[in-house]
Amino acid sequence: MKVSLFVTCLIDMFQSDVGRDTVELLEHLGCEVDFPEGQTCCGQPAYNSGYLKESMESMKHMINVFQDSEYVVTPSGSCGTMFHEYPNIFAGDAEWEPKAIELANKTYELTQFIVEVLKVEDVGASLPARATYHTSCHMTRLLGVKEAPLTLLKNVKGLEFTELPDKHNCCGFGGTFSVKMSQISEHMVDEKVRHVESTKADILVGADAGCLMNIGGRISRTGKPIEVMHIATVLNSRK
Amino acid sequence: MGMKIGTAAFKERVDQGLSDSFMRGAVSAAQGRLRDGRLNAAEELGNWEDWRSHGEEIRKHTLEHLDYYLEMLVDNVSKRGGHVFFAQTAEEANEYITNVVKKKGAKKIVKSKSMVTEEISMNEALEKIGCDVVESDLGEWILQVDDHDPPSHIVAPALHKNKEQIRDVFRDKLGYKNSEKPEELALFAREQLREEFLAAEVGITGCNFAIADSGTVTLVTNEGNARMATTLPKTQITVMGMERIVPSWEEMEVLVSLLTRAAVGQKLTSYITALTGPKGEGDVDGPEEFHLVVVDNGRSKILGTEFQEALHCIRCAACINVCPVYRHVGGHSYGSIYPGPIGAVLSPLLGGYDDYKELPYASTLCAACTEACPVKIPLHELLIKHRQKIVEKEGKAPVFESLSMKAFRMGTASPTMYNIGSKLAPKMMKPFVKEDKIANGPGPLKNWTSIRDFPAPSNERFRDWFKNREKEESKS
Amino acid sequence: MIKGTVTNKDSFLNHVAKSLGRPRTSTRIEKPVWKYSPQQEVFKGYSQDELVKVLKLQGERIHTDVIETLVKDLPRALENVVMGYGGDSVVTWADPRFEEFGLTMLLNEGLPSKQVDVHVWDTELGDKNTEIAERANVGITFSDTTLAESGTVVLFNGKGKGRAVSLLPATYIAIIPKSTIVPRMTQVAEKVHRDNQNGEQVASCVNFISGPSNSADIEMNLIVGVHGPIKATYIIVNDK
Repeated sequence: MKVSLFVTCLIDMFQSDVGRDTVELLEHLGCEVDFPEGQTCCGQPAYNSGYLKESMESMKHMINVFQDSEYVVTPSGSCGTMFHEYPNIFAGDAEWEPKAIELANKTYELTQFIVEVLKVEDVGASLPARATYHTSCHMTRLLGVKEAPLTLLKNVKGLEFTELPDKHNCCGFGGTFSVKMSQISEHMVDEKVRHVESTKADILVGADAGCLMNIGGRISRTGKPIEVMHIATVLNSRK
Repeated sequence: MGMKIGTAAFKERVDQGLSDSFMRGAVSAAQGRLRDGRLNAAEELGNWEDWRSHGEEIRKHTLEHLDYYLEMLVDNVSKRGGHVFFAQTAEEANEYITNVVKKKGAKKIVKSKSMVTEEISMNEALEKIGCDVVESDLGEWILQVDDHDPPSHIVAPALHKNKEQIRDVFRDKLGYKNSEKPEELALFAREQLREEFLAAEVGITGCNFAIADSGTVTLVTNEGNARMATTLPKTQITVMGMERIVPSWEEMEVLVSLLTRAAVGQKLTSYITALTGPKGEGDVDGPEEFHLVVVDNGRSKILGTEFQEALHCIRCAACINVCPVYRHVGGHSYGSIYPGPIGAVLSPLLGGYDDYKELPYASTLCAACTEACPVKIPLHELLIKHRQKIVEKEGKAPVFESLSMKAFRMGTASPTMYNIGSKLAPKMMKPFVKEDKIANGPGPLKNWTSIRDFPAPSNERFRDWFKNREKEESKS
Repeated sequence: MIKGTVTNKDSFLNHVAKSLGRPRTSTRIEKPVWKYSPQQEVFKGYSQDELVKVLKLQGERIHTDVIETLVKDLPRALENVVMGYGGDSVVTWADPRFEEFGLTMLLNEGLPSKQVDVHVWDTELGDKNTEIAERANVGITFSDTTLAESGTVVLFNGKGKGRAVSLLPATYIAIIPKSTIVPRMTQVAEKVHRDNQNGEQVASCVNFISGPSNSADIEMNLIVGVHGPIKATYIIVNDK
């Protein structure tokens, strides 16, 4: 199966190892991965800040970049959600709406793609550790991907899984919110870190680089002995 | 008090909220209970999503034909002997209400909980003409006794107070002598308020849903205070926001079912009271005179705009009960009697951006509100629309932000620019990197690194790794 | 009934229509055929006995005692509840069903013989009724329609059926003929809607009562009994 990777700008620049894990994982599952080089950013930072015009230009660019792809897979629930928003944003635009719909229809978040399209529930990973999982908001509520990551995690050999208390509460990232309203964001992320600690997990797993950067940054600052790991990395572990 | 509460700037209010540890404990505990209640009630029905969709289609249809249904409503109210006054502004509403009260020579007025009367500062207008206006909802009454402390939640107005604080308020203001046990506090309130109900000449209520085709107003309470206010006084005045209407009993029933479940997880509250006109011929109790005041006060400005769905709100507070920002800052931080996500959408619409431009940004856009709303108002999308307005029309966004968004456009709409920018990043950030992280970032990063570390840019971008790998593969 | 006044109607409604971007609606608008109707599915096809079970279960959740009895045992059952609430004084509706269900003796003789004052709502007495109800220990009414799902008695108030009887006394007893039980609020709303369309006026006050009054305004703790009755009992009578 031919898969185009939409790696997201955060992973491209700050967590390139997560991108590598994603590629290796997909190849391990028999996919042929290509990386359309023109890709930049889905436009979400500008769109969510109210800069509609600015964001629409990057959206159009992304639509063009992935025009010939069969499947678009991304290791980010939030950026995947953004692609799925494009049809709403271009609603009524005779030229771009159909293209936006086409892109949305072929775009999958990584775990969703593995479970729903590849029909795989056990990727053959093993990682002896105690873990908990952060359900990121856009992925669960807007993209509607709730079970896939848990299904895959539960089949990782050696991984002991504990549910995160109050997992439905946002971690306080919210893109520019984290810097614009940093005082509120701090209290939100602190509560999240307290809950993570209460599970006694060694690893916090998540499927969104933004949330992980926020929670991980706070864990690092406060010196907690918890490792933050992207789900692609967990699923690509063979320990 | 009007819609706006307090004069402090947004940041000060938030700081105050964040430092109030009792309030935050009370709010997070309440959120947990209310959220569970709603989810259990929804689960019990089995087809909650259909209920929400039905609620949505009812609200949408009704608002699209608002003039038609309001006309039907008031014709039916009038047929049943009720008087109707349409008020474009708060002043017009208050003038009518005070005139009715003056004509009756009334001095004592009991009120059951109503957001719209808060919004138009009705109590102050009545107090100005020498009336004693008594709030009868337990939470509202506590706040009133405590020198008009503002409400912090639209369903549980005194949520920010603990029982010890309430005991002290009762003791200092009313000579209460018993303990802080909720039962004893409530019994005291019952006794005090019973006297007020018996003495009141006028009862004033809000309106949960007015029913157009029968001319009925429906009141939803647990305490029974709305029943008291419409059973004992000889004159009843009901004040409704103009959007609080349904076509018929059939839709009222659906929306009440959604409201009580979404608000508190109850199948129905203890009392749902449907009142049509003044008391009937031969009836002993109930008001001899009934007045319905229909209030616009800025609502028509929302009609016909991209924000029209905000008027679908049925005031259940489900969005407030799941909001992770409200959880930490509490209701008073919003500076409006409408807090939380719906408050962040509604307050700028009714009160303008000058006072409320920060509220649309007081959200992580996590969409918990949108998911919880029983009539499917896309609250987080409306917050984004507010941000668009602020950026495009109002020019109220910070200069720095608008510059960086211009840069964003250049960097993301063109792969060349993106390439140059992302390649430069590690070099530019290098001076700030220690042990693979940035603890003290420059410029906009400062707000980030004041509380958390920022990752150092990867030495090799993903795209470079991928390209190199392809090269290696083609070699072998 | 003398028609009430309506002030500022045209200016207000014209403005509403203008805001909606169209002229004022002058023709009849039909409600659309709704795409969803989940309310019809609740307890669909339940027998009367199954609905009684639902009602009893819900009673527990709303802090209301639910008793089931036969018509012939009703006087005894009612007396027990009244005396259990401390007797003293009772106020009831003037409702022919008290006689139909064989309760006249109890109200006229049985309770008074136990030093319980019984007042039957009397329109001739006017406000005196309210004063009596305010002092009464127990209020008793029949249920006009009963909702199984929410444990709700629906009272169509008016004339002999005073609003205060179910509101002002310290405790409240509702007698529920089994035949009045329907699945949920939907069935009442449909009936009122039909009647209204047929030109029949809805009662000036319809109360949906689900248990005793309560509040959660102090630290979200449930307190039973705020303004209305502090305790409530439902007596289901197997009338059919």
